[in-house]
Amino acid sequence: MELQDMKNRAAVVGVGYTAEQGTVPGRSALSFAMEATKNAIEDAGLKKDDIDGLLIQPVIGMQSYTVASYLGFDNLKLLANEDVMGASGACLAIHAALAVASGQVNYVLCLYGTNGKSGRGGPAGPGAGGGGPPRIVGTNAAYGLFGASAEYALAASRGMHVLGTGPETWADIAINQRKWANLNPRATFYKKTMNREEYYAEPWIAEPLRRADCCLVSDGGRAYIVTTAERARDLKQPPVYIAGMGQNHHTADIAQNIHTTGPTGAQKSGEAAFKMAGITTKEIDACEIYDCFTYTVEITLQSYGFFKPGEGKDFFKNGRTAPGGEFPVNTSGGLLSEVYYMGFTPFTEGVAQLRGQCGDRQINDPHFILSSSNGGILQTHGTVILTNEDVGNHIKE
Amino acid sequence: MTQGAGPMNRGGGPMGPGGGPPRGGPGGPSVVTAPQQQGYAKPLPGIDEENKPFWDYAKKHELRMQKCLQCGKIYYPPSSLCPHCHSWQGSEWVKLSGKGQVYSFIVARRATNPAFAKEVPYVVAIIETEEGGRLISNVVGCKPEDVKIGMPVEVLFDDVTEEVTLPKFKPAS
Ligand SMILES: [Zn+2]
Repeated sequence: MELQDMKNRAAVVGVGYTAEQGTVPGRSALSFAMEATKNAIEDAGLKKDDIDGLLIQPVIGMQSYTVASYLGFDNLKLLANEDVMGASGACLAIHAALAVASGQVNYVLCLYGTNGKSGRGGPAGPGAGGGGPPRIVGTNAAYGLFGASAEYALAASRGMHVLGTGPETWADIAINQRKWANLNPRATFYKKTMNREEYYAEPWIAEPLRRADCCLVSDGGRAYIVTTAERARDLKQPPVYIAGMGQNHHTADIAQNIHTTGPTGAQKSGEAAFKMAGITTKEIDACEIYDCFTYTVEITLQSYGFFKPGEGKDFFKNGRTAPGGEFPVNTSGGLLSEVYYMGFTPFTEGVAQLRGQCGDRQINDPHFILSSSNGGILQTHGTVILTNEDVGNHIKE
Repeated sequence: MTQGAGPMNRGGGPMGPGGGPPRGGPGGPSVVTAPQQQGYAKPLPGIDEENKPFWDYAKKHELRMQKCLQCGKIYYPPSSLCPHCHSWQGSEWVKLSGKGQVYSFIVARRATNPAFAKEVPYVVAIIETEEGGRLISNVVGCKPEDVKIGMPVEVLFDDVTEEVTLPKFKPAS
């Protein structure tokens, strides 16, 4: 089998949100995951016992089988915690697509839940420990280097030096996404605007990154269901097919990582995804990019080839990626301004846009949306190209 | 916890050096309760079986990294397996010149950990040594605004406790 044979073989058929998201005290990560699960199954028009695969982003903090038992899934054919961290949104979908296409399973639920904002010890968010084993994290702490924000700031600082971007560029990215969040009733920053002066007035988290460059820390959950294209056509929602997919994990910790100014894992995973989908960057109508930090958006889009190194400082100007702009990016507000649910935030937004269910922030008639996720400090990366075009390999069968 | 014997430090807590009484659990805010007689409240490096030689040499004021006996490449962080050629034949801890340059840096302007409150603003950098190995350290001996990427630096050794010495870097003379 060629990778191209996987084009449009799998589809996303259910998305589950939690009724409340952002700051929701008094609940466990598991409770959010359970609510998202129930809502995803209802959204797809399925029943609990249809689910025969479960892939979990392990920030819930339990063994996979314990989560499954609380959900009452007692006859699964696929079960795993997958710890590529932020890259989960795309990487779990890729695993699920392969599993349903092979016939191993029929419906795979991919699941995320966190109480990282209000709970104890939730490892999600920019204050969490950065990449690497405890001995690396501990050594970094001895030098006063704490958490993913500071480690990403090391990548961003190098990026300023090599690429000529910096706060001027990142302000555009943050403000453009804030404008999308202003249109999204689920978003933490719904109706809460930010202008350039307010961006520059934000406190330093780790210079050169200000607070507005950093993702939120959020409570809540998100889930989605993957099945075959054939099954998807008979279900409740308009199918959203996986047209292309790829992974690329560079893995090295921040001190050893030679990819922090690009190309990141976006490049090779993107090449695989575009090849499978049979399209180029020109066919992409919008991007839902993993945006743990503003710099991540810049370096990810550059690595996909949407602009060349050195062109980033002009790319985001004049609201190009904002509502009404020619190149929509992170239309929910993203991790910066909607909620931080790792790769699940950008992935599920891509599905919602292609279904045409995004209300005031709906983009005009999209056909292909690229969604990325990356984890660690640019150490893991997954890419999925989603489409609502009902053409592809499943038609031939 | 066993002092100095295992990768228990989760990023916030003290990793005790050999000897002395236990100093609390492996995680979180216990760092602020480090004993006064120690006089040093900041986290200490997570020292384990594989990186112990690095810290033992640092205590002797030597900056050393592993050089693979098979492929000859320098690698860091310390490991039993050469990540370049997968040689299991071992390595030589070669002494580095102590000279290098700033590959990247940040300025910490708020104390994420209260033990650093008196230090802010301070510089955390990725140092690329002359020999090619890279490590996280601090740039000291100049103002944060004077630090630049590519700036030549040289090592100095900060004996932060009786047991632990942190290699740091200052502008090259
Ligand atoms: Zn070797």
